[in-house]
Amino acid sequence: MSQIESETSTGAAEAVLVVDDEVLVRMVIATYLRDCGYRVIEAASPDEAKLVIEHDDEGAISIVLSGVAMPAQGDGFELAQWIRQRRPDLEVVLAGTPARAADAAGDICQRGPMLAKPYEPQVVLDRIRWLLSRRPRPQT
Amino acid sequence: MAAADFQDPCGDVSPQLTVLIVEDEVLIRMLLSEALRQEGYAVVEAATADEALSVLESSSSPDVLITDVRMPGSIDGFELAAYVRRTKPELKVIITSGHASPDLAIGVADASCPSLTTSP
Repeated sequence: MSQIESETSTGAAEAVLVVDDEVLVRMVIATYLRDCGYRVIEAASPDEAKLVIEHDDEGAISIVLSGVAMPAQGDGFELAQWIRQRRPDLEVVLAGTPARAADAAGDICQRGPMLAKPYEPQVVLDRIRWLLSRRPRPQT
Repeated sequence: MAAADFQDPCGDVSPQLTVLIVEDEVLIRMLLSEALRQEGYAVVEAATADEALSVLESSSSPDVLITDVRMPGSIDGFELAAYVRRTKPELKVIITSGHASPDLAIGVADASCPSLTTSP
């Protein structure tokens, strides 16, 4: 096992899908999470995210981190609902401005409040690690 | 091959090369990005040429640009390549396309780009 994998044993084999229409935001958080040892898949829109999830036959994706407001591309809430119906095993973390219905996000995600943008990458990392630590271990 | 560094025959460690991939088809972009990362490259992804411009205008300094031709947005891959040729001549450009045609060859020549490859 490589050094990176041994240091991030809860995250190295699982993929995070980052969804954001702002390329620089997506780039920064994706780079940060990769540097922490996660496999990261990027989607520039909810439609791209759905396509990636539909083709995730191996179930590699564990968490979806999505922006909320993506003008002309759909929104993160609708994506989260779509995921909840088709892949309830996926953890969804939404990130947006505090004005965007935190109650609705909490109802969809059931995993704590929505992250407020702009967010510190460490905050995202801590949330991902917490969510992954709560997943049931596979039976051996 | 080490994930972070390339060792040249003289023993010097070269910095990791960064590739900017511009491709609107997410599955293709994903496969190409992951393949390059497995080979040790740092990869930045852009879904359109407009996104690529944002990346190029930021502090990011890729070493290689791989761009599709036909993509949604205000400019296509040829125009992006021509922009790079004018403003970042040190950036190596590879144009990809799944639609081989004489018009494509003309576009590549106009963009003064040395490399064309077909995808997938």
